[in-house]
Amino acid sequence: MSRLTRWLAPSTVVRAHCDLPCGVYDPEQARIEAESCYKIIEKYAANEDATYRTRAIAIKEERAELVKHHLDVLWHDYFKPEHLEKVPNLHELFWNATKQVSKVKASTDIADAKKLLDLIDEVDAAWKATGGNEKTRVAGRPV
Amino acid sequence: MRPAIEPGDWLLVDPTTRSWPRRGSVVVFREPDSDELAIKRVAARSGDRVPYADGYLILRDDEAWLLSDAPDAQLMAAGLGEPVDSRRYGPVPRDLLIGRAWFRYAPLRRVGPIARSSASD
Repeated sequence: MSRLTRWLAPSTVVRAHCDLPCGVYDPEQARIEAESCYKIIEKYAANEDATYRTRAIAIKEERAELVKHHLDVLWHDYFKPEHLEKVPNLHELFWNATKQVSKVKASTDIADAKKLLDLIDEVDAAWKATGGNEKTRVAGRPV
Repeated sequence: MRPAIEPGDWLLVDPTTRSWPRRGSVVVFREPDSDELAIKRVAARSGDRVPYADGYLILRDDEAWLLSDAPDAQLMAAGLGEPVDSRRYGPVPRDLLIGRAWFRYAPLRRVGPIARSSASD
């Protein structure tokens, strides 16, 4: 870039910020991260090494944060007011699921991680009941 | 914001804008939910009614309804999820206005004033 161009170039970048969201949503993303939490708790219990255990806790923290993120995206962006007809307990379900993520963050009890998986499966059922699979995923992927 | 604004366009923004400019103008502002600098078009201003949920909203004195240019057909084709504009974050207060984008000075083949949309008043 020449000196003149550099001088003329804008100093601030402004975004049109994704006029169109991609529209792809799938609770599987949350499920995979929650499975990581589950497996980490298993491995944590089976290993006495302090360094290993510290790493396990740190990684579980990260994965749990991702679960929360994926659940939030589904809640805020995928689900719509009209979906409440098919899934009347939708808000309570997400409330419970995201609370359960916080519990898994703080816990090394496998039962907590299992409960989170069950709640994500309920979210998955809600997503399927509202046609999420057909409406948001690209057709033709192997099942 | 295609085709009005393309990625990489260099724009002049008037920072002296004190109130939301006329409908159809392109504005730079801070997004209410992310604080990120964004660019959209003024679709409605104070006193206007905008469709919201099953009813409508009447915008307050200092509020504007900012929309992207993407046509509805394109939005439908994109599937679920609202576009990231007032349909997602609601009316935008005057405090978040940075200025009106009024001129494009690069790239050379696209130099010129930023047109207000035909749907404007």
